Amino acid sequence: MRDKSLKYVLVLPAVFVVFATAIWPLVESLRLSFTVGRLNRPNFPQEYLGFENYAWAFLEEPAFWNSVQVTAIYTLVTVVLTTVLALGLALLLSPGGRLRSTVQTLLILPFAMSPALIGVSFRFMFNPEFGLFDAFFSFVFPPLAHISWLSDPTLAFAVVVMADVWGWIPFLTLVLIGGLASVPRDTIEAAQVDGASGWRVFKDVTLPQLMPVLAVVIILKTIFSLKTFDQIYMLTNGGPGTATQTLSHYIYFSGLKYGQIGYSASVAWLMVIPMIFLTYLYAKHMFRKG
Amino acid sequence: MTGKQKKQFWNALQVILILTAAFIMLIPIIWIFLAAFKTHVDVYQLKVFFTPTIENFGTVFESPYHLGDKLYNSTVVAGVTVLFAIPIATCAAYSFSRFSLTGEMTMLVMILATQFVPAVVIILPFFVMFRDIGLLDTRLGLILINLAIVMPFAIWMIKGFIDGIPIETEEAAMVDGSTRIQVILNIVLPMAAPGLFTAGIFCFILAWNEFLFALILTNKDAVTLPIGLALFKAEEGDLWNLLSAAGIIIMAPMFVLALIIRKHFVQGMTMGAVR
Amino acid sequence: MAEIKLEKLTKRWGDFIGVDNQTIHIHDKEFFVLLGPSGCGKTTTMRMIAGLEEPTDGEIWIGDRMVNDELPKDRDVAMVFQNYGLYPHMTVYDNIAYPLKVRKTPPQEIETRVAKAAEQVELTEFLDRKPKAMSGGQRQRVALARAIVRTPLVFLMDEPLSNLDAKLRVTMRAELKHLSHELKITTVYVTHDQIEAMTLADRIAVMNHGVVQQLGTPDEIYNNPENIFVASFIGSPAMNLIQGSLLDGWFVTTGGTKLTRVGGGDKERVVLGVRAEDFIITDAGQGDIDVPVYATENTGESVLLTIQFGKQRVSAKGDRHLDKKIDDIVGLKVKPEHLYLFDPVTEKRIRPGQ
Repeated sequence: MRDKSLKYVLVLPAVFVVFATAIWPLVESLRLSFTVGRLNRPNFPQEYLGFENYAWAFLEEPAFWNSVQVTAIYTLVTVVLTTVLALGLALLLSPGGRLRSTVQTLLILPFAMSPALIGVSFRFMFNPEFGLFDAFFSFVFPPLAHISWLSDPTLAFAVVVMADVWGWIPFLTLVLIGGLASVPRDTIEAAQVDGASGWRVFKDVTLPQLMPVLAVVIILKTIFSLKTFDQIYMLTNGGPGTATQTLSHYIYFSGLKYGQIGYSASVAWLMVIPMIFLTYLYAKHMFRKG
Repeated sequence: MTGKQKKQFWNALQVILILTAAFIMLIPIIWIFLAAFKTHVDVYQLKVFFTPTIENFGTVFESPYHLGDKLYNSTVVAGVTVLFAIPIATCAAYSFSRFSLTGEMTMLVMILATQFVPAVVIILPFFVMFRDIGLLDTRLGLILINLAIVMPFAIWMIKGFIDGIPIETEEAAMVDGSTRIQVILNIVLPMAAPGLFTAGIFCFILAWNEFLFALILTNKDAVTLPIGLALFKAEEGDLWNLLSAAGIIIMAPMFVLALIIRKHFVQGMTMGAVR
Repeated sequence: MAEIKLEKLTKRWGDFIGVDNQTIHIHDKEFFVLLGPSGCGKTTTMRMIAGLEEPTDGEIWIGDRMVNDELPKDRDVAMVFQNYGLYPHMTVYDNIAYPLKVRKTPPQEIETRVAKAAEQVELTEFLDRKPKAMSGGQRQRVALARAIVRTPLVFLMDEPLSNLDAKLRVTMRAELKHLSHELKITTVYVTHDQIEAMTLADRIAVMNHGVVQQLGTPDEIYNNPENIFVASFIGSPAMNLIQGSLLDGWFVTTGGTKLTRVGGGDKERVVLGVRAEDFIITDAGQGDIDVPVYATENTGESVLLTIQFGKQRVSAKGDRHLDKKIDDIVGLKVKPEHLYLFDPVTEKRIRPGQ
């Protein structure tokens, strides 16, 4: 077979799989979002409603707005916290040496843990009677002793954030260590010889050169924060009330627990829109290098 | 000698910070590990020293939990997903790496983008379709949909490995008289084998840890390990010693696999955006 | 005003010795070259002066200050790096201005001094560019300008010309020489290129295995090498080292031919060092020894013959009109005033006259 046709034959299966498992469901979701799509009614009615589902979400559903708000705050807080802490840890670990490279290796472990399991373990750690973190916090700050963390809206949110930050720091740290390693050593040494203090070397030389990697990290983390579902489901299941109900969780509940497929498809599509923008940013960063 | 003292102080501070960070990162894992060996009495206390028991690991496989079934499901689903994904991804990755295709950029970006689509969006139409054609609560259904998660990573990762194989080797083989297919089979596949293995492990981990699809699509026969965790919620509360034992069974293989491919983990997750 | 004194300086990484207990004094305003093959410790020595590497042992003095515990920023040195170390995200102007900015120089002064430095290295029209948009030679000038924008106590240059192509290297070499003459600041220059060392240096320290093999003016190093290493490292092509013995003051090749009288009695094994240009090529039968031609190379200005000399090969430089072919037999004579004898065991120079 000539290369001319072979090259398309080779990509065909993959393109088909990606089309069937991602593009089709995306389009089909869009179609469903304009229909009644009630699973809990007989024969799964699919009459077209136009934009009624979207209007319903915007105008009639405080729960939708609540989940938008939760997701927004959650994303903002987790992205900022994870990035800042991971950058600090990356700076601490990047010089190398036995201790540092051992810790770098250990960082893989939390990262290989499934998000659902992270949710479970944090529920365990924050148990008001025998949770280890609970014991620790009450030791440091006695008024917090035996507080039912997951029953208080603010504290539950804090725990959810902590679990997410804990789960993502290792990955971001490893990426940033790689980024730091690619900052040419001699530019840093040049700045040291030129008379810059440690902080100024970081601010004037290291950080600007780390920006492309940092941008990738922030975009990626934003995408994953927006999508968060697993930990939340296992940790608080959106509760108490709807205090930790993210958009993904809201879509899951309205669509699959209450059977409103059409409605939840419309909410899901509202979520796809910022994703498209973020993906565009990510791809732009990626191809600017190559 | 203040310069020296200052340096020593900074070094000591850094070591303390690093150890603290390492401790925080590991303590939940260690705690689960300890809890898995505690009796159901010890687990409700903050004991660090206790008489370890492996009883929990037996209990989780017995009735009513039957964790063995879930373990089997997880292994089959993740394994078969990888067996499908890697050959398909390898063909595509070779083509993307070595040829210029019309619309190549668009295809690559699309493949990248699909990984960022929220899983809840993908699952809605699949749920409806699987319900209609009877694929709900089957391993086959799970395998098909896991391909959605795994494919983009596999393609990008393998493309990265093939990009790293010098094209001269292939050109030499073609000058020596090989056809393109022979080149792929005799030159590229052996040279890319470690990369394919790495990508395979990476995809296995992703499929193994997958939660949302399995939560929605399974309820009895095809339940995988992460969903199986929900079994250990009893009326009187969570059975933490059993949950922990199950957690270890989920985590431990992934730790081993992750350590094997740790050098490529970052590259895999960022799809080559960071090397 | 700064001399540099390295006292019993040592750098070890585990078992590996980078620099081995070396004492070097570099005079004020001197252009001092550290020369040697890669891994010889020359760069490590320079980096310890800059403060980028911490000595395992010994002291570093710049002027009258012991700087061992000072950070690079406090040592008042300027450095040009092998890969230039330019800040890719800053313009040329900002690159050059950076050492002044971090030292809180008034903006007005920064402007005039950057302008002056840029002019000295002929970069004035490129000040708005980013380093990425410049050629290798231009980047090199930016690095130089960044070093000369202040008046540091010491200039450190780590193989600054090694990334340039051959032609540019020659021009930049001349510019460097001119610049150092103008600035009159103590300069330490690291290179593995003996021509750079010979042309630029006031004094050269030839290093190998972390030890200074010989320290002296270019003339001393070239004409009076202390040992086999220095003799063979300096000069292009490398000095011929011919195995043989001493018999009654005559050098006898391993083949048994009495080559030339060098004095100094009898010795079973010696090495005779002859530079290619110190051979005289004659027709067969008219030299001290007849040898076959292995290869000829015409470099334009001269003809270089590679000659099969027993089991060894030696090179001899001849007139550019010399017309010899491979396998021709030629005669060789040596100029007795330019011969060097070495002990093959200690590798030290033998001076039969003394």
